[in-house]
Amino acid sequence: MNHAGYVFGTYAITFALIVSAVVYTLKEGRELSRNVADKDKPWT
Amino acid sequence: MTTTELPAIKGVGTQATRLYGVLALIALGWVLVGGLFFTPEDVVQGDAVRIMYVHVPTAWTAYLAFIVTGVASACWLLGKKHSMGFDRVAGASAEVGVAFMALTLISGSLWGRITWGTFWVWDPRLTTTAFLFVTYLGYLAVRGLGGSPHQRARRSSVVALLAVLEIPLVHFSVVLWRSLHQEASVLSPDGDIKMDGIMLFTLLFGVFGFSVLFAWLVSHRQRIMAMHDAQRASALEVAMADRLQEASS
Amino acid sequence: MDLTPRTSSDNAPLAPRTKAKKKWRYVAMLVVVVSAGGFIVSQFLTSAIDFYCNVDEIGSRVGCEEDRRLRVQGNVVEGSISESANKTTFSLVFNNKTIDVIYDGDPGGIFQECIPVVAHGRLQGDTFEANRIEVRHSNEYEAANADRISESEVAPCSQQVG
Repeated sequence: MNHAGYVFGTYAITFALIVSAVVYTLKEGRELSRNVADKDKPWT
Repeated sequence: MTTTELPAIKGVGTQATRLYGVLALIALGWVLVGGLFFTPEDVVQGDAVRIMYVHVPTAWTAYLAFIVTGVASACWLLGKKHSMGFDRVAGASAEVGVAFMALTLISGSLWGRITWGTFWVWDPRLTTTAFLFVTYLGYLAVRGLGGSPHQRARRSSVVALLAVLEIPLVHFSVVLWRSLHQEASVLSPDGDIKMDGIMLFTLLFGVFGFSVLFAWLVSHRQRIMAMHDAQRASALEVAMADRLQEASS
Repeated sequence: MDLTPRTSSDNAPLAPRTKAKKKWRYVAMLVVVVSAGGFIVSQFLTSAIDFYCNVDEIGSRVGCEEDRRLRVQGNVVEGSISESANKTTFSLVFNNKTIDVIYDGDPGGIFQECIPVVAHGRLQGDTFEANRIEVRHSNEYEAANADRISESEVAPCSQQVG
C-alpha cells in the first residue's frame, strides 16, 4: 500500500477517538446512574 | 457457596440504543476492514482514496449533528413548554458534531498531504470548515458559562440558530468560490455520482454507520446531561432545606 | 436568613469556587474561539475568496496582474513534464492558453500529466517561477485495474478535470 502511514494513521486516529468517546460515555453514564434516583431516569 | 447478587445499575442504555450500537459496530467494522483492504485503489489517487471512507462520513455526521442542534434549539425556543429535553439534545449533538468535525479536519489534512501535496491551504472550503468548527466550540463555551438550565438553553439556542446558517455556506463554498477542494462526490451539484460500485457502497455504508453512531452517542450524552441537571437540582433543594432549617432553629 | 454561598457542602456536587473556576475556563475558551474566528475570517477575506487565477486570466483579470505574486491554475500539459537538477518544468493549459512553469524540486502529491494544479509564484518574462505546487483532484473515483490502464493508454488525458 502506498502512503500507508497516512492511510493507517487516519483510520487509527478516527477509530481511537470513537472508541474513547464510547468508553467515556458508558463509564460516565454508569457512574452518574449510581447517584441519581430512578425517578430522574425516565428511560429506565 | 452462596453468591450475593448486587442490584443491576441502570445506565443510560435502552433497547433502541443497543440496536444503534450493533448496527454501528457492523457498519464501521466494514468501513475499517473493507476500506483498508477490500476496496480497490483509485486510478489517480491510488491508496489515498481509502481516507475518503472516513473523511466524507465524519463530515456528513458533523453537518447532521449541527443541523440537529439547530432544530432542537428552535424547538426549545419556539415550544410553549420550553422542554429541557430539546436543550439537552442540542447540547449533546453539538458535542458529538465538534468531535466529528475535528476528525474531518484531521483526516482531510492527511488526505490533502498525499493528494494536494500540503496539509493545509486557506482555500474557501477549508477556511469555512475551520470557521464552522470554531463556531461550535464557541457554542459549547457559551453553554458552559453558568446560570440556570433555562438561561443556558436560552442563550445557546440563539447561538445555535445563527451557527446553523454556516452549513450551506460550507457545503456550497466549492461552487461559490474557486477552491482547491473537489466538489461533493455524492451530493454533487449535477446529481451525477462518479464512483465505482464497491467504493460507493463502502462510502454509503460508512455514512450509515457514522450516522447510527451519532444517534447512539447523542442518546447517551443527552441522558448524561439530564442526570447532571437532576443532580444539580437536588443539591440545590438540599441546600435550601438546610438553610430553612438553620433559619428556623 | 443567611443567603451567602457556602464554600463547601457534602451534598453539593460542585462547590461555588469550583463552579466559578469552571466558568472562567469557559470564558477563556470563548476568548480563544473569538480570536481564532477573527483570524479565520481575515484569512478568508485575504486568501480564500480568490484562491487562484486561471492561466488565461493572467494580465486580464483584476487581481491577476503579471507583476504580482500569483496562484495560477491550469491542467498539466501531456508530455510537458521534465525533471533535471532538482528542478521540475512543465506547462499549464487553460482555455487554450498555455504557460511554462519552473518549480524548484519535486511537486509531490499526485502530481502528473493531465491533472489540474495550482502553482504559487511569480511571472518572470514568459516563465512562471513557482515555489509551491498544489494538486487538485476531481470528485471522480475509478478503480485501478488492468482493463482501465489500457483504456487510459488510449486516452491519456481522460482524467482531466477543470
